[in-house]
Order: sequence, then structure tokens, then C-alpha cells
Amino acid sequence: MLKILIVEDEEILLNLLQKKLIEIGYDIVSARDGVEGLEKARSQNPGLILLDIIMPKMGGFEMMEEMQKDRNLKKIPVIIISNSGQPLELDRAKSLGAKDWLVKTEFDPKEVIEKVRKIIK
Amino acid sequence: MENRKAPKTQVLEERAKELEKSQAALMNILEDVKEAQESAEEERNKTLAVINNFSDGILFFDKNQRIILANPQAEFILGIKSSDLMEKLIGELKAFPSLSSLVDLVGAEIKNLSRKEIELKKDLVLEVSTVRVKNKEEEIGSLIILHDVTREKRIEMMKTEFVSLVAHQLRTPLSAIKWTLKMLLDGDLGQISNEQKEFVEKTYRSNERMIGLINDLLDATRIEEGRYLFKPQLASFEDLVKSVVEAYKDNFSNKKIDIKFTVLDKKLPGVMMDAEKLRLAVQNLIDNALRYTLSPGKVEIFLRRKEGGIEFQIKDSGVGIPQDQQERIFTKFFRAANVLRLDTEGSGLGLFIAQNIVEAHNGKIWFESKEGQGASFYFTLPVGEEFGDFLKKF
Repeated sequence: MLKILIVEDEEILLNLLQKKLIEIGYDIVSARDGVEGLEKARSQNPGLILLDIIMPKMGGFEMMEEMQKDRNLKKIPVIIISNSGQPLELDRAKSLGAKDWLVKTEFDPKEVIEKVRKIIK
Repeated sequence: MENRKAPKTQVLEERAKELEKSQAALMNILEDVKEAQESAEEERNKTLAVINNFSDGILFFDKNQRIILANPQAEFILGIKSSDLMEKLIGELKAFPSLSSLVDLVGAEIKNLSRKEIELKKDLVLEVSTVRVKNKEEEIGSLIILHDVTREKRIEMMKTEFVSLVAHQLRTPLSAIKWTLKMLLDGDLGQISNEQKEFVEKTYRSNERMIGLINDLLDATRIEEGRYLFKPQLASFEDLVKSVVEAYKDNFSNKKIDIKFTVLDKKLPGVMMDAEKLRLAVQNLIDNALRYTLSPGKVEIFLRRKEGGIEFQIKDSGVGIPQDQQERIFTKFFRAANVLRLDTEGSGLGLFIAQNIVEAHNGKIWFESKEGQGASFYFTLPVGEEFGDFLKKF
């Protein structure tokens, strides 16, 4: 089954997403900041990453920049889940290879899963 | 001989007297001229004093576009001595780095400008206006007025950053609430009773309203930051309106308000647009029409081809806008009195946002309404050649 890495510092959101995704049958790995996210991305070899932007220690953008430097990590599809969503940020995410950008207040876990399904198809 | 001379002497004496008179008259005239000159000088000094003590910078160019006056405030703003500027053509002023962007703005022919904002250099923002100066019917030159708005801009910026930060921080807990309630409702966190479900649903809707308010606030803030339109692309406005209307038809069928969309001309041309923003403008107008129309009512939307563009019209049979409040309808946070009696949920930002979006697309927005007799809101979007200027900006 596909392994998904969720990098999110907001505990409730992480728990809810995790619950929903596990129910469907995905294998879930989680991290609470970019540093841990990068480490898990390397050691766990996930098939997809759900990534927050504003996080302690290392934010989502920095984590993606680091991933770009690594031949293997570069290939993992990333969906951004953030509370922000300004055009300049969307552009930056796209240039770093993100597949999609979801504003948390505009989506709920069910819709996040639909996006996940679309991308891994 | 004396007898012969006598008439001559008489003539000479008369001439002398005449000359004396003429001299006196001339002296009088000279005195008058001198007086007039002095009073003209005094007037001129007064005018100069006004110009020199004016709080705005003033540059005066003669009709050949040569600069002939720069007041001390202009010297101060531009950091250039007036004596270094004198008699130069406007084009030649480009040689001064601090003036280059200003010259680009006004152009070689000094075009008409009204309060155009320009960042002359870091930490110096000016509002530039130009005035053609006429003496009776003859044009004698042009004035460029430089109004320093750096401080106002800085305050606006701080305010914007503050609101932006606050709005962002507010979204984080709201998304946690939204996700939790949604999963509760979907039964993901265990079964809940019908009564519980009813309460959770209401809470969910309140939360959605809060999210909507914050989104409005963010949109209004971004407009003020001047970075609102993003990567406009050529697309069909008709399709956009159609998809927005469809979404409403699903949602509002229970309110018994009929919403009808009619395209009056075939084959409407594409529009250069930031589709996401235009969608928001159309949504705001439909929201208002539905919100302020009592059931049963009617909302009609028309698209038609107009010279140079496409015209959008939304006509409702709602409460209308009171005459004495029509002037303020596009003002931020403004809500009309009759509307406040109807509901208290709106943010007062919808029309402000719609207006800014339409104008950013080089369009115009306006309305016609009488209290109690509904309202029609219109906006135009340019097509073809007319968005040339608009494209350059992005």
C-alpha cells in the first residue's frame, strides 16, 4: 500500500488527516517540522508527501528546496496544505515541483484525499 | 525788426509751454508706470512667496517643455538645486538619476496626470499631478505637482501587514475547527445522534461564515497592497459566469429566488483575466443580489457585447439602495441602512473588492437603483486592443 508522509505541526490537523488516510488503507508516516520531514523522507521512502508551509525549525519551502538537491527525493510528489495561499507563494511552490496547493480553510480531509487519489493515479 | 520778431517769439513761447505740459504729462505717465511696475512686482513677489512656501513640490515648464521654475520643496524632494535644473528640456532631466522615473511617468509632452503614484527611490513615494497652465486662452506651460505620500504609504503598509498576519493566524484554528466538525458530521469520529448532528451543523456553518469574513478581509488587504491581479490569461468570461451561476443554482433553490443567466450576443470574444479574481467579483455581486432580494424574487444576469468590451449586468428585485447612501456604496466596510435591518452578516467588503477587481482589469463598475425597486449592477471588461495597456502592467 502507498506510504504517505504528512509533515504538519498542527496536532489536530495531523491527527484528523492521519485517521482518515489510515482508514482508507494508506500507510502513514508523520513529522512535525521540516527537519524531521526531510529525515523521514530519506529513511521511509514515501510515495507522496502532504506538506505544511509554516512550521518550526524548517518550513515547507526550505524542505522542498532541500529535496530538489537530492535525486531520489526530487521525484516524490508533494501536495502543499497551508493556511496561506498568496499567488507568489503558489508560484514558488510550483517552481519547486509541488503538484497542488490546498488552503486548509477551503478543504476538508475528505477533499484532501480526493486530491491524493488523483495524483497517485 | 522787433515787430517782425514778436510773433515768432510768441510762437516759441507757446511751443515751450506745450512742451512743458507734455513733459509733465509724460512724467505723470512714467510715475504711473513705475507705480504699476511696483505693484506688479509686489504681486509677483507675493505669488512667488506662495509658490516657495507651498508644501508640495512644484515644477513649472514653459510651453516648449523647458523648466523655468522649481520651488524649494521640489528641490528638497528631488535633492537637486533649482539652478542646476533651469532652462533644461524635460527630456534632458532624465540625466538626473533621481528624476528619471518621474520623466518616464509624465512623458516628453507632459501628459495630463492626476495623483499618479510613483516610488521615486527607496522610502520616497510621490503622488504626481500635472496641470496645463493657461493665461486667458493661450497655453503658457505646464505644472508638475509633487506630493510626498511616503509617510501615508508606510502607515498603510504597516496596517496591511498587521491585518495580513492577523488574518493568517486566525485561519489556523478555524481550519482545525472546520476539519473536526466535518469529520464529526461525516461520522468519521463515531456515530452521533440527530440532535447532536443538528448542533454540529449549525456550528459548522458559523465557522464557515467566519472563514468567509476572514477571506474578505484578506482580499481587501491584498488589494491595498497593490499586488492583487495575478498572471492574467485569455479566457471566456461567458464560461466563467456560467459556472458561477450553476454553483448558485444548486445552493439557492430552496430560497425561491429565481436566478437566470442570458447571453444577449453570440460569440463573445475572450477576455484577458485573472479568472480566480473575476470569479470572486461575480460571486460578490450575485451574493448581494440574492442576499438582498426577498423571497419570492428574481435575479437576472445578462452578458452583452459593447463597444470595446463585454458588459455584465445583474438585475435584482430586491430592497434597492437608498438615494442618500448611493455615493458610499463601494466604500470599504460600508453597509446601507436598509440592508443592515435585513441582515447583519455581511462584511461590507464585497463591493469594494468587486470594484477593485474590475478596475484592475481596466473595466468600469456602476449601478442603477431606487430604494424598494431593486438594483442593477453593471461592469465592463475590455477586449481586443483595449487591454494593451493593461497587459503591459503585468
